[in-house]
Amino acid sequence: MNSKHTIGVFDDEDKLVKAIKYLKSKHANIKDVFGPSTNHELIKSLTTESRLPYLAVLVAAATIAATFAFLYYTSVIDYPLRYGGKPLFSFPPMVVILFLVTILVTGGVSVMLFLGRTQLFPGKKAWIPDPRVSDDRFYLVMDQNFNPEEIIRWLREFGALEIIETDIEKSSIS
Amino acid sequence: MISSNISQPLVTGQKQYGDITRELLENTEGRPPLWWLIAFGLGCLALAFGGWAFYMSLSQGLGTWGLTNSVGWGWDIINFVWWIGIGHAGTAFTIFFLVFRQKWAGSINRSAEAMTVFAVMCAGLFPLIHMGRPWLAFFILPYPNTRLLWVNFNSPLFWDVLAISTYLIMSVTLWYLGMVPDLATIRDRTKNKFKRTIYGIFSLGWNGSLYAYNRYETLLKLLGGLAAPLVISVHTIVALDFAISVLPGWHATILPPYFFVGAIFSGFAMVLTIMILMRKAFNISDYITWKHLDNIALVLKYGSLVIGLAYGIELFIAWYSGVDYEMYTFFNARVSGSFSTAFWIMVSCNAIVPQIFWFRKARQSIVVLFIVSILINVGMWFERFVILISSLAEDFLPSSWTSYQPTIVDIGIFVGTFGLFTVGMLLFIKFIPIIAINEVKPISKEGQRVTIKNEKA
Repeated sequence: MNSKHTIGVFDDEDKLVKAIKYLKSKHANIKDVFGPSTNHELIKSLTTESRLPYLAVLVAAATIAATFAFLYYTSVIDYPLRYGGKPLFSFPPMVVILFLVTILVTGGVSVMLFLGRTQLFPGKKAWIPDPRVSDDRFYLVMDQNFNPEEIIRWLREFGALEIIETDIEKSSIS
Repeated sequence: MISSNISQPLVTGQKQYGDITRELLENTEGRPPLWWLIAFGLGCLALAFGGWAFYMSLSQGLGTWGLTNSVGWGWDIINFVWWIGIGHAGTAFTIFFLVFRQKWAGSINRSAEAMTVFAVMCAGLFPLIHMGRPWLAFFILPYPNTRLLWVNFNSPLFWDVLAISTYLIMSVTLWYLGMVPDLATIRDRTKNKFKRTIYGIFSLGWNGSLYAYNRYETLLKLLGGLAAPLVISVHTIVALDFAISVLPGWHATILPPYFFVGAIFSGFAMVLTIMILMRKAFNISDYITWKHLDNIALVLKYGSLVIGLAYGIELFIAWYSGVDYEMYTFFNARVSGSFSTAFWIMVSCNAIVPQIFWFRKARQSIVVLFIVSILINVGMWFERFVILISSLAEDFLPSSWTSYQPTIVDIGIFVGTFGLFTVGMLLFIKFIPIIAINEVKPISKEGQRVTIKNEKA
């Protein structure tokens, strides 16, 4: 479903950060910002901390448990073979394997979680406000739940180069 | 204008974002220059030589190599360790950039990661061919075979398989994810429909959303954090392949840290070589500035000191242990015996020559930087040669002592890996921005702030 949006075009992150902070203080509904790069301040101005690291810790813990169970099963239960007089259950060599498998699985699952949550996949048709979004322009996309004239005035005050009013399909920027 | 040694801009030339995009995409948008075509042709020739050597190894067996009963690991393992060492720098740069927030690494990490990926591929080929029957390589994977026997989980050789596979997968993932926004830039700029489709597929529908960037930055930091201990573990495990054996010269607790520092050292040297060549070829001195080259040279200087210390400790421990075999390996075979030439090349290139970087003038001379970077890689190759061959060729039993000579097939495989590395790097240069555009843009902005601050001062 399409809905009316106002887009403020900026060429400078510093101006954009100021605009976002002000608009947020006025409770304007900022849908997203699109740009060629980002910095810490810009990210902090609009988004909250990602929970990915917490999920990664859970994945790592599950991987350690599953790998340990696998190593114990193969070395002690399924085929108990002594190598060089070492005990069947020898923990130190397991540490290396636990460490590597945990890194591999946690890294892989984190990438999958990121791609899934951000809805990125090969061949996805990207919605972009303008091709310059990946070059030198930042696009501040706002829902028109507020007085559009006031939003335009604010955007101008904060140095927007251009202001566009357009219909955007909701799913493409949510 | 006041120039400060402490805060110099990391991207010079007061560039706007549009300039950065245009300049850094030049290599992917235009036709390849003549030097690229010549280098690509030479790389393919080297690859073909390697292909022939690979075919000979498979069709006639490992008897075509220079291995003997005593020297069972020859050029293959020397080159494996050498390449894997070179591969360490890419991930090290990524960790510097993402985890330690060393912004100067931002201009370098894309190319350094590419180098890592191709170097690890080259490294992985050697143990694969050394198996003799590479089509049975799946035997080393942990699955119950027809006798329901599992692999030996206590063996460092198995850890090696796991470590290198993990390292390759993580390096490729970090490299690829890092380039997604830049692939989207190419997709949005190109007018060629086919190119747009291909870059569209690989850019995964990236549209520069701030929410996506937030998760993306978190993911990259997370992967960087995971890769940091991985880098240390990979060369530690390679060192354990040797240290767990009982041969004099190998059976030493110093080997894991010594190998790790050597890997970072040789990797940084290769990065320096490649950066100097790219800087010259693509006129990107505003992005790879003197500060970048200076920083790499400083890392090499300190790396060299640590390597020199490790060489000294090895000799000291051999003497201090009072074990005749250790004494023989270090003081007779290596320092003054059959392998003394290789030993002294190793010491000169790795521990002595890089000390020239104590002088600022040397760090600011492209010729000196380039020559020293090459010498370090020669020295690091000889280090692996000395460690491997001297211990194997002259071990406990003089009756089994032998000399070692590589054959044309050994040399062919090594040259072939150079071909693979060169062709891989040239394809990377042609199709992917050599500097991470999306990472350099905010760095350039900070550079402008530094310049304004300096001007005011």
